[in-house]
Amino acid sequence: MKGHIQQENPRIGVYICHCGGNISDTVDVVKVKETIAKHDGVKVCETYEYMCSKPGQDMIEHGITEHKLNRVVVASCSPRMHLDTFRGAAKRAGLNSYFLEMANIREQCSWVHDNKELATKKAAALTRGLIERTQHLEPLDEKSIPVNRDVAVIGGGIAGILTSIELADKGYKVYLIEQSASIGGHMAQLSKTFPTLDCSACILTPKMVYVSQHLNIEILDMSEPVAVNGSPGNYKVAVRTRPRYVDKGKCTSCGECARVCPVKRFSPHEECLIQEKCIYLPFKQAVPSAYVIDRDLCLWFNKGVCRVCERFCKGKAIVFDQREETRQLNVGAIIVCTGYQQLTPSLSKEIFEGWDAFSQYGFGLHPDVVTNLQFERLMLQGIHRPSNNKPSKKVAFVLCVGSRMDRGIQYCCKIGCMNAIKHSLLLLKALPDAEPWIFYTDIRAHGKGYEEFYSNARNHNVKFIRGRVAEVVPNGDNLIVRTEDTILSRQMEETFDLVVLSPALLPNVGTGELTKMLGIDLGPDGFFLERHHKLRPVDTKMEGIYLAGCALGPKDIRESTIETMATASKVATFLGRGEVSVSPEIAYIIPERCNACGECVKYCSTNAIESTPSVAVINSISCTGCGVCVPRCPTGAIDLKHSTDEQLMAQIEGTCEEDDGEPRILAFLEKTTAYGSADLAGQTRGSYTPKVNIIAVPSTGRVGLRHLLHAFASGADGVILLEGDDSSFREDQVREHVNNIKKGLSKFGVEPLRVVSTTTTLPQYDKVVNLFQTFDERISKMGHISPEKRQEIAEALAGGK
Amino acid sequence: MKHNLSRHITTQMTDPSFVEEIKKMLGGEKILDCIQCGVCAGSCHARFAMDYSPMQILKMAQLGLKQEVLSSSTIWICTSCYTCASRCPRDLNIPAIMSGFKNMVMKNNVPASIALKPKFHKTFVEIVGKYGRMYEPELKIKLINKTNPGELLRNASFGMRMFRKGKLKFQPFKLDSSTRFSEIYQRVLNQEAQK
Amino acid sequence: MKYAYFPGCAIHGSAKEYAMATNAVNKYLDVELIEIRGWNCCGAIDAVYAYNPLLSISLSARNLALAENTKMGIVTLCCACFFTLSRANSMLRENVDMKGKVDKVINDAGLKYAGGVKVRHYMDILANDVGFDKILQKVTVPLKGLKVAPYYGCLIVRPIGIERFDDPEHPTSMDKVIEALAAEVVYYPDKTRCCGASLVMIDEGVMMEMTKALLLTAKNAQADCIVTPCPMCHFNLDAKQKDIESHFDLDLGIPVLYITQLIGLAFGVPSKELGLHRNLVFPDKILEKLKAPSQATPKAL
Repeated sequence: MKGHIQQENPRIGVYICHCGGNISDTVDVVKVKETIAKHDGVKVCETYEYMCSKPGQDMIEHGITEHKLNRVVVASCSPRMHLDTFRGAAKRAGLNSYFLEMANIREQCSWVHDNKELATKKAAALTRGLIERTQHLEPLDEKSIPVNRDVAVIGGGIAGILTSIELADKGYKVYLIEQSASIGGHMAQLSKTFPTLDCSACILTPKMVYVSQHLNIEILDMSEPVAVNGSPGNYKVAVRTRPRYVDKGKCTSCGECARVCPVKRFSPHEECLIQEKCIYLPFKQAVPSAYVIDRDLCLWFNKGVCRVCERFCKGKAIVFDQREETRQLNVGAIIVCTGYQQLTPSLSKEIFEGWDAFSQYGFGLHPDVVTNLQFERLMLQGIHRPSNNKPSKKVAFVLCVGSRMDRGIQYCCKIGCMNAIKHSLLLLKALPDAEPWIFYTDIRAHGKGYEEFYSNARNHNVKFIRGRVAEVVPNGDNLIVRTEDTILSRQMEETFDLVVLSPALLPNVGTGELTKMLGIDLGPDGFFLERHHKLRPVDTKMEGIYLAGCALGPKDIRESTIETMATASKVATFLGRGEVSVSPEIAYIIPERCNACGECVKYCSTNAIESTPSVAVINSISCTGCGVCVPRCPTGAIDLKHSTDEQLMAQIEGTCEEDDGEPRILAFLEKTTAYGSADLAGQTRGSYTPKVNIIAVPSTGRVGLRHLLHAFASGADGVILLEGDDSSFREDQVREHVNNIKKGLSKFGVEPLRVVSTTTTLPQYDKVVNLFQTFDERISKMGHISPEKRQEIAEALAGGK
Repeated sequence: MKHNLSRHITTQMTDPSFVEEIKKMLGGEKILDCIQCGVCAGSCHARFAMDYSPMQILKMAQLGLKQEVLSSSTIWICTSCYTCASRCPRDLNIPAIMSGFKNMVMKNNVPASIALKPKFHKTFVEIVGKYGRMYEPELKIKLINKTNPGELLRNASFGMRMFRKGKLKFQPFKLDSSTRFSEIYQRVLNQEAQK
Repeated sequence: MKYAYFPGCAIHGSAKEYAMATNAVNKYLDVELIEIRGWNCCGAIDAVYAYNPLLSISLSARNLALAENTKMGIVTLCCACFFTLSRANSMLRENVDMKGKVDKVINDAGLKYAGGVKVRHYMDILANDVGFDKILQKVTVPLKGLKVAPYYGCLIVRPIGIERFDDPEHPTSMDKVIEALAAEVVYYPDKTRCCGASLVMIDEGVMMEMTKALLLTAKNAQADCIVTPCPMCHFNLDAKQKDIESHFDLDLGIPVLYITQLIGLAFGVPSKELGLHRNLVFPDKILEKLKAPSQATPKAL
């Protein structure tokens, strides 16, 4: 690799592509070449048929070496197509790749305009803008920061277990943090899984044992994170471990202590159908396999008496003075696998503002109304009726309890239908003359083998009634289910031995606190939010923090497993090389201007800025380079690499240089989604006025009042700010930002209507075209800003606003 | 109960502006949210007497079957008990929508399936307009089908029973003019007339 | 404890005994209901609303405005009035357009409604302001052995938000009052099942079918009486019971008491004061059972 070429004076090479007619059929590339060649600093100006081809790239390399070019502008297609290609050429010629820019004169010019003269003028304007920008470019390189290759997994259910195994097998040290006394989660409560009817414990417990024996996995049971600090690749997780009052190393799980304990409690594992003692083993296959004392019920802790368990424990494993412990883990990545909890009557009243979703079904009024998780346990105990222990032959399955409700939980629980079908088939296996009835609104059999499973149930004469159940009324010994059979259009009443409810699924306890601790977001459904719905489904907005399983939303075991594979892969990519590359296009502090006021910290959506008493500090890995902090700084102490103030001002000026008498509109587009959408408008050959000139910015939040004033002073008559819908610069922040800008503009006598701001998603390119057209109409009516006004603004800016 | 929906519903039979009309009702804005889950029909205590279930009425409304909806018995049988609305997963204000349909019938003089029912509402409002409060005996008397001797007899004997128990009020109470009640009443009627 | 009181049209008509009994009971419970001067029809949830929604809400708003002026809240005895006023309150809050129209209407009569009234039913006062303990204390004739079916009716549990005071599916406020009186609450699954309400005037057959179900459930539960807080329901269950019996050829004979009539009995209030003689299905069996004297002087407070 040849070294950087650093010279005092920019020597700029401009290469204009014909693109086989795609550009040259509309833009007179020769005319553009002639105009540009005269520009200051341009040493070379060429056109070629296909710049991206080998000969085209050779031209660039040749130009750099032969003419000692230190800046290159390629006026061709969208940088989203070939920026990397051309940067490669520059690199090969020994030029820092950040010295090469592209002017988009295809997707955002030749493909969207019909008037050749205007399109040519615009192509020249855009190219000029980039040329001016290159004058202020600096050499940049990606940096590498070493990362810690240990990993913390929060949550010991199936997702947490499998993620730990995947990563441990890859050689990572994993801390598996589980809040309860044993790993296993809800899957440990299930009898069989759909649609294969595999025994749940049979597939889960070997994994649990593998985890316990794996040299790379350390299980922290009875634990939860209490604070998370640090940065991606170097997180510090403070974990608090609650005492179980039993020495895990000494406990042999013999059960003597439980035999003699006088205090009973309802077993959570058994969904409160069965009682256990207050010193208990979570379940037979618990990992770690050791007893726990429920401190809230234990006579010793509440009344200072008893301790019988201690006397009977042969291994002397009971330790009443065990203390809570805190520990700090240093990890490179954190994976959230916290799973779900089921809706309960009290949660229902909280979420639905006083309304209990279970009330109309008699839950709590009659012991034979149970939840599907309770039914799982009943299946293992013998499917009897809780009320009288007789076999429950006629069973009603009521779906969607608390789900699909506008007033609180709008989403579907995803596994209710399949569970009910599974339960029906298992019921028939256990009691061949049983009568399972499923009351549904929709049967969702979406996964692999599910539709066949459903057909199977139909063939076994499981009754399906379509109608959301109105009420379940206890009637002496039995239960009456009332509903409308919407298909036969009649109200019906049917008597049952047992009613099984399918409650809604919710994010697990502690989700709110964990979100704040980690600095990640929750989606509108209350579950953790992924970075991108389709393309980044297990990432969060924080680098190094990932998600898997029901923490993301309700799903079945197979989907959870698939996500754990994805997450493990992502973690391996992130940490695998032992270092992460940090993009150089990030914000930086100019220390002499910083007065540590802390304003910038408020606006950073990834918590990348830390305020210290003397100066603000930006974490280079957490910083996403959006630039929202830059205009916020009252002293101008922050700037953004590769989108510095000077570079932006220069590009604005260069684009507006020639005054051709037509109102000019500058459109600042967020460089990924909004810019991509404008490209799509080009690809689909949309049509809009050539008066709109697009400048890419990391985020419209990076553009401030100064830049807009400079735009108006330089020749713009209107400014568009277009942000991507999925950007971290949120809509309410956008609105506030733009309102402040408009207020500022009014002070300078610039009408606020000369600025418009909105957001777009990638596929809404017709919205983008529409925006350009309607704004152009508005600006045309408003007319030019007078030259005197422009002069006035320019002077005010120069005066040091 | 059987209904009379014809086999083929073509778009010519539907009124596309019906949905817009419904959206303008208080409570009707969410009409398109209904997914016909059936909890309203299952919960309805008066369903047995209706030709269409509440769920069917909402579906028909979504499809623009204005005639069928407004000539149903359902809208008149609804007692506004709100059991359906309290359980509806889309939070539809079904009784308000039913009232809205009754309103449409009474406004447009579309012949009601049972004439007594609009008469009930009209008479009720007239009495309230007169006195400021309801006066039950007058309402009952005005609604009795005086040509039906059986009905007359039954109501007379019922009236006697009530009288003997002292439950019949002989004089209506009229709000005096200091309350300015009639101004309010008139104002509303004027507003309606302007529409 | 003083409250602005909205009786509703039924109270002054066929449901007079409800007011009588409530007045008698209030003396024991330190509750004073001060009738709002010049109140009008509540807006009649469907009777007026279906004919003219704006009229209905304006009628409600006038009452709410009058109540707001008293600064003593608003308490109703009638469940239909309760829900009508509550629903109007919600509609005015949620629909700016409607609020504007209604404001124009009532401003004309010199009234303003700022939206600050919380509509309450008398049952809410009993359950939350008076409290079951206080009711228990005042019992001098424990209703031991009396089996009571608590029939709430549909509308009393319908308000949402802050005006809701009991569970909409399985309310218990009246159950707890009955238990405080030492009576036995029978299992009554039709607590909030609709009686048919104003269908009594426009489709009597349907209403009778609906009310019959309520009466039969009570009979099957071996209830000595049904207790209700709603004048509309009371009318259908009590005044129309004979018609239902003859229509369906049944023998029911179940007395229907207003909740305050039951409370009054337990407080030792003479049955005449409670208006029990006005009930069409005379509760003679109950009075027998309690050996409650009909002419005794009320116990000193």
